[in-house]
Amino acid sequence: MYYSTFTQWILEHGVPEKTLELFLAITIVATIVSIFRYLFGTKSYGIYAPILLAIAYSYTGLKYGLAITFMVITVSLLSHLVLKKIRMHYITRIAINYCLLSIALVSFIILIDELGLGLENMSTVPPLALISIAALSDFFTKQFVQKSSKSSFTALFGTVLIATAGWFVITRDYISNYVINNLWLIPLLIFANLIIGQFKGLRLKDYFRFKSVIKENDTKK
Amino acid sequence: MTQRSKYKNILGLNRRNQEYIRPFNPPSAKRIADNKILTKKVLAKENIKTPEVYKLIRNKQQLKFIDWDSLPKSFVIKPNQGTGGNGIIVFYGKKKGQYAWIRPNGDIMTRNDIILHIENILDGRFSMGNRKDIAIIEERVKTAPLLKQYSYKGVPDIRVICFNGVPIMAMTRIPTKRSNGTANLHSGAICTGIDIATGITTYSMQMDTNSPFSDTYEDIDTTQDLKENKILSGIHIPEWDSILEIALKCQRVSKLGYIGVDIALDAEHGPIVFELNARPGLGIQVANKAGLRWRLEKVKDVEVKNIKHGIRLAKSLFGGEVEESIETISGRKVVTIDEKVMVFHQNKTKKKEPEKESGRAFMDTGVLTSRMSETFANRVGFLATTQYFNSLNVPRKFNSIKEAQEYIDTHLKALTLEENIKRVAKIVDGEDVKVRPVVDIKVKISGEIKDIEVVIIENSDYHLIIGREVLKGYLIDTSKTFSN
Repeated sequence: MYYSTFTQWILEHGVPEKTLELFLAITIVATIVSIFRYLFGTKSYGIYAPILLAIAYSYTGLKYGLAITFMVITVSLLSHLVLKKIRMHYITRIAINYCLLSIALVSFIILIDELGLGLENMSTVPPLALISIAALSDFFTKQFVQKSSKSSFTALFGTVLIATAGWFVITRDYISNYVINNLWLIPLLIFANLIIGQFKGLRLKDYFRFKSVIKENDTKK
Repeated sequence: MTQRSKYKNILGLNRRNQEYIRPFNPPSAKRIADNKILTKKVLAKENIKTPEVYKLIRNKQQLKFIDWDSLPKSFVIKPNQGTGGNGIIVFYGKKKGQYAWIRPNGDIMTRNDIILHIENILDGRFSMGNRKDIAIIEERVKTAPLLKQYSYKGVPDIRVICFNGVPIMAMTRIPTKRSNGTANLHSGAICTGIDIATGITTYSMQMDTNSPFSDTYEDIDTTQDLKENKILSGIHIPEWDSILEIALKCQRVSKLGYIGVDIALDAEHGPIVFELNARPGLGIQVANKAGLRWRLEKVKDVEVKNIKHGIRLAKSLFGGEVEESIETISGRKVVTIDEKVMVFHQNKTKKKEPEKESGRAFMDTGVLTSRMSETFANRVGFLATTQYFNSLNVPRKFNSIKEAQEYIDTHLKALTLEENIKRVAKIVDGEDVKVRPVVDIKVKISGEIKDIEVVIIENSDYHLIIGREVLKGYLIDTSKTFSN
């Protein structure tokens, strides 16, 4: 593949191509998280979870990624509902959840292999990507316990939505090829974040949230 | 006006954080609001009441030595640095002879369950950033009777948002069965907007259910466990001015420029501050059907001299707007405590006589039947009636209701002989009981013409005193007085 002089220079200095791609993906997804948070008002489990998930999806493929996410959440939810009946400390509860999650993930892969279920080649999914998705369990359970089931599911939906958007952007070859050869885009992303960071207007979600206030003001007039 | 510019009055999260929280709430002030123990200490300097602390548990070692017998039957456990009401448990009673306490939903928590919950608090499960925390065991506030009837078990609280020394907007949060007796809106509590000038509640809504705006429990939350469907709009929050004053004092002492103060009304102690919020939510705009942004901008550059000035500004700038809305949603007219009324002339015979007479009326929920002064009665055509009644030489006072009733029973025929006297009434005036004639009049109150029954009394500072019988259909605004 042909690289621009600057990119070529970086690669020649021992930065692996995959690592460079990964860092670029992180900057892009991080900006996507900013856009979703401050312009659309999408809630997520912070910035780390959607970045991790988007990158994991880029390794697993969206179909596998979403299937594993669904399984991780289902197991976490069931384990939480069962374990909350037992009087125990919080961290031990999470530890048991991870044990169950490991068993469930292995069983899931075996089940896919046995039955197919339209998700062939599960064995080719890199283990680190699987673990990254499994880490979502921690975010989910923490919010579920500390706040409410509703807020945790809302944030889960937002996280998966942002991760999917991130996955879509970073897996387009023309985008990744363009960015890797035009590294000046990175300062541009910093600039974009500076602009978003100053944005004081209403988030898209606010327009729906405060619709009734506007309606009322209309009737008054 | 375009749709875009209509939204200009609304305050969104982006602007709240950048224009109000960051510049006006310094980190040192935020630390006070985020720490309940520190909040209590700081507020005590201004003699602002907060719930009494029974015990502070700082580590697991202390937990072992709690004297459980010294705790009262009802109390509350809170994490010192908790957010959004998480980790707060209220206990209503104790099981006799056992170390077990009863929660609002009837659940029982044993001593071991409570110890585990406190351990979770200490481990930071409910604190911001999962930092190690302190557990507070404190007094359970006993809600003032007026608000208690609207709430399901828990304590309703009043949130007042203040900025630059001016109360900007207020709402009350009412616990429901769905919220398990907590005033947490995200758990299903109802929030009701409050008119800042009068302290009268306006619209109600539930945050998470997308329920339509309504002014009663019935429409808003069918899971309510109340005996009757209560109208939530038009409730006059008691001690409203004190509440606004306390909110502003909290702002002054905490140095939070943009603050949300949560106040409960305790049956014994009056207004009591629950919590200070350095990042108050924006749902208050929905409950009030009004935008915060224009209100905040209006007071941004105003020099507020003192607390009273701040309250006056708030009342004149943001109050009263909802008056019509209260009428619309509650179907009740708003009248001032001291209102100008028109009384139609009785038996108008001469052309020269005016058709109606203007009078000054006092709205008094302390009396049942309305009253009219004798001189005013004479002016509106009851001269013959009063002359007739006075000619009967009815004793000026009786020692008891019984004595008055006996007099009425004996002289009923003579007392009601005059055509306008429909009956006679026993009224209590100071320590005396009096017997006075009752007549019907036609009166115009707040634009509405009504036929009402009045007792003609000897003298009064007001031409008319409007009693409960008539006031059923009205809301009384105590903030204004008649000045013409």
